[in-house]
Amino acid sequence: MRASNSSPLIALYYLQWYTPEACLQFKDHFHALVRSACQQRNTGTVGLKISKVVVVGDLYVGKTSLINRFCKDIFDRDYKATIGVDFEIERFEIAGVPYNLQIWDTAGQEKFKCIASAYYRGAEVIITVFDLADIQTLEHTKQWLEDALRENEPGSSFIFLVGTKKDLVSGAACERTELDAIRFANEMQAEYWSVSAKTGENVKEFFSRVAALAFEQSMLKELEKSNGRMAQIGAGNLIRNSPETPESNSQASLNCC
Amino acid sequence: MAAPGSGLRLPAGEGGGSAAASSLSMERIRSLTDLPELEAAYSRLCGEEKGVEEELEALLEQQSTIESKMVTLHRLGPNLQLIEGDARQLSGMITFTCNLAENVSSKVRQLDLAKNRLYQAIQRADDILDLKFCMDGVQTALRNEDYEQAAAHIHRYLSLDKSVIELSRQGQEGSIIDANLKLLQEAEQRLKIIVTEKFDVATKQGDLPQVERFFKIFPLLGLHEEGLSKFSEYLCKQVANKAKENLLLVMETDMSDRRAAVIFADTLTLLFEGIARIVETHQPIVETYYGPGKLYTLIKHLQVECDRQVEKVVDTFIKQRDYHRQFQHVQNSIVRSSATEKIEPRELDPILTEVTLMNARSELYLRFIKRRIVSDFEVGDSMASEEVKQAHQKSLDKLLNNCLLSRTMQELIGCYITMEEYFMRETVNKAVAMDMCEKGQLTSSMVDDVFYIVKKCIGRALSSSSIDCLCAMINHSTTELESDFREVLCTKLKLGFPATTFQDIQRGVTSAVNIMHSSLQQGKFDTKGIESTDEAKQSFLVTLNNVEVCSENIMTLKKTLESDCAKLLSQGFGGEQAEAKIDSCLADMAAVSNKFRDLLQEGLSELNSTAVKPQVKPWINLFLSVSHNIEEEEFNDYEANDPWVQQFIINLEQQMAEFKAGLSPVIYDSLSSLTTSLIAIELEKVVLKSTFSRLGGLQFDKELRSLIAYLTTVTTWTIRDKFARLSQMATILNLERVTEILDYWGPNSGPLTWRLTPAEVRQVLALRIDFRSEDIKRLRL
Repeated sequence: MRASNSSPLIALYYLQWYTPEACLQFKDHFHALVRSACQQRNTGTVGLKISKVVVVGDLYVGKTSLINRFCKDIFDRDYKATIGVDFEIERFEIAGVPYNLQIWDTAGQEKFKCIASAYYRGAEVIITVFDLADIQTLEHTKQWLEDALRENEPGSSFIFLVGTKKDLVSGAACERTELDAIRFANEMQAEYWSVSAKTGENVKEFFSRVAALAFEQSMLKELEKSNGRMAQIGAGNLIRNSPETPESNSQASLNCC
Repeated sequence: MAAPGSGLRLPAGEGGGSAAASSLSMERIRSLTDLPELEAAYSRLCGEEKGVEEELEALLEQQSTIESKMVTLHRLGPNLQLIEGDARQLSGMITFTCNLAENVSSKVRQLDLAKNRLYQAIQRADDILDLKFCMDGVQTALRNEDYEQAAAHIHRYLSLDKSVIELSRQGQEGSIIDANLKLLQEAEQRLKIIVTEKFDVATKQGDLPQVERFFKIFPLLGLHEEGLSKFSEYLCKQVANKAKENLLLVMETDMSDRRAAVIFADTLTLLFEGIARIVETHQPIVETYYGPGKLYTLIKHLQVECDRQVEKVVDTFIKQRDYHRQFQHVQNSIVRSSATEKIEPRELDPILTEVTLMNARSELYLRFIKRRIVSDFEVGDSMASEEVKQAHQKSLDKLLNNCLLSRTMQELIGCYITMEEYFMRETVNKAVAMDMCEKGQLTSSMVDDVFYIVKKCIGRALSSSSIDCLCAMINHSTTELESDFREVLCTKLKLGFPATTFQDIQRGVTSAVNIMHSSLQQGKFDTKGIESTDEAKQSFLVTLNNVEVCSENIMTLKKTLESDCAKLLSQGFGGEQAEAKIDSCLADMAAVSNKFRDLLQEGLSELNSTAVKPQVKPWINLFLSVSHNIEEEEFNDYEANDPWVQQFIINLEQQMAEFKAGLSPVIYDSLSSLTTSLIAIELEKVVLKSTFSRLGGLQFDKELRSLIAYLTTVTTWTIRDKFARLSQMATILNLERVTEILDYWGPNSGPLTWRLTPAEVRQVLALRIDFRSEDIKRLRL
């Protein structure tokens, strides 16, 4: 689904969630409106769609590594503290529609909190990151999320909780931490993922999921806006009740991928 | 007959040709008894005979050519023997030459070897002589205290091949050389000690020429690192002394001094300038005597001292200016927001300016150092491998990012952002509270004030030269404009525009209640209250203008910032993604401009529906009271005494004049456009409720024309489009006969595009009392 391998993977189905116990959506298809809009190339007059992603979390949990693995496919063993905020743009093509994720990588150090918090506003996606090998960082995610949500309108952003350094913890320890993390995720209304930037495990899948959800959301918003402008007489309401939605809910795990 | 038959068999069988030849064996022929069969066999054999004959003839024809070729070949025979002999001779000669050449080349090789050995021998002799010369020279030089000379000798000795020294020991004079070598090594050690001592003494005395003299000797003795570290120690001491003096001066500076407000930034500037000057003056020496690529080591040492001094300055700054306490105070004010404990934003102003100036100086200094080291590395690493280059790059990044200077500034800027945001928010609130609108002004003071403040705050963040800090402040400003300030304007618009008809009293009461409510809720804004409807009207119109100006100001601000940032970036500040970061933040800011535009549209339609519509509608409804079912006499009477349209135009003009005075041209245009649409829609409604005679239609056409003519003069946009339906209605109402419509309809419509549906056309036709409904029904549209 990345523009580089040019296969429109996300075109017609969602990439799967990590665990059904903490996930934002069970659907395996884009919203019917979005799909039809994509097929008709009726994606609005606004040129390129951009969604803002903000990555927050304690220092040394691997926010920058996670992003570098995804955007540049590199992993640097040396720890280099992020200064202020870093910034990457990743280009996608979803269902034939060009789409950009603007990823803001914030510094975890306390002294940068004032600067970093100025960048939280208008985030479509908030990714809170913790270290699977350091349980305290998980406890801090709530504070990070609270800070980030304060700058955004309630309900306007997707929230993800990501445990990093999966390669460093044994299977049993990982499972135990994941149980805690899933509990946290449910309280935060977030979707949970375990990843490893070092091995690259789940990194691509995770960001693809982020992109898919953000893309759908921004398309829906766009369509709603243009519909409102043209004062349509409920053209979309008929499709919304199509039978596939409940069906795909129950069979999602089979259909997916 | 039998002979050709058997002769034919073989080739035919071999080639797999005609099956007939093989089938016609003698036995088969003999066994033939039937006449037709015999005849058939015969004819086939005849055919075959003919073929064979042709083949034979062709072969015979070739005989002569083959014979002549044979003759030539025979003639060639003796020649070939001659050639063979020659070839053999040639080969013999080549072998001989080859041997000869090899002999020669082996001799040459031997000569070459001999030459090389000779050279080596000379070289070694030279080396040995040099060695001897060095031994003697060092002694004399040391005795004469000519340390440069001595060091040069030692350098020569150190650069000699170790094997040469080994070899020279093996000679007959081995023992002498051994002794000499020992002397030389002793001299080296002694020289090292002397140079170090002398250097230390010179350092202590602050004798720069002597320091530089011995600094140049270190690399000759192979003590690059030591030389650099000792030299930088000396430089550090100088930096420290100077910094101490400067700091003392700061403590004594009178608060009334012109630069008192930025004295710490000035002190930092002096410190950085001092270091920069040191780097500038000593870089050539280091480069000449230590080679390129060594500047990094020198600066690394200097940076330690720089960090130490910066720490002192910043500590004093924090103590003297109460930086942290002020920061705490601001944080408390944000959390509690009780008016009594709030820190006065104006008090923060000088300290914020000073912090940004300090950061700007640091960025400038770090950029200077970076540029110097990078170019020095470039010269030194021109032949180095990619890995070495990357390692160098990494160590440079580490030096720049991890130095205490960077970290201290980051901390200061972190606090600065919070304080600057507080400053902006509080000052904006103040500007809103002190909002004033002078008579004759379209906008009120707060718009100018707010944008002045926002611009000032962003400008200050920009002056810090830190991209992250700038982007953070842009984001804060966007939030401030989008939520807080837009909310203020939004609340004002929500009060509505009071109508002047009988609803006046009603609305007056409700808006007063609204005002009470909002001022109670907000506490800070809009405490003045609005005494009269006139003022309420004024306030609404001014707010509309404010919203429009805001939207424009944001775009102007964005453009100004874009060019400012481009300047900053072109000077090389900021990392690789700096431009993208700024672009993104500015795009967010520009989006707010649209939100203001949306708000303006909301306000305008509110104005249109609450103020314009209730007035215009009754005026248009008067149309109904004027009969259009008229005869010649009434038509002439109307000509003399206009029944409706003139009065309507006058009323409209009066009403719009009020808005024209109070609104900016752009908003007034939008409003008149909205009003025009409203008139068109309402007029259409009343027309459909009226009945018309032929002359009534003409009358309506005249009225419509004068209305359109008037509206065209007062609006800048074309309004014909909005009145297209009405004009077409007028055309229909003016028809002589029902069927005349067909002259304009369908293929006859020409350039005219019908905005009316066939059903509507029939409806309008039916308004004419003299048209029969059967005729209308019969129309094929």
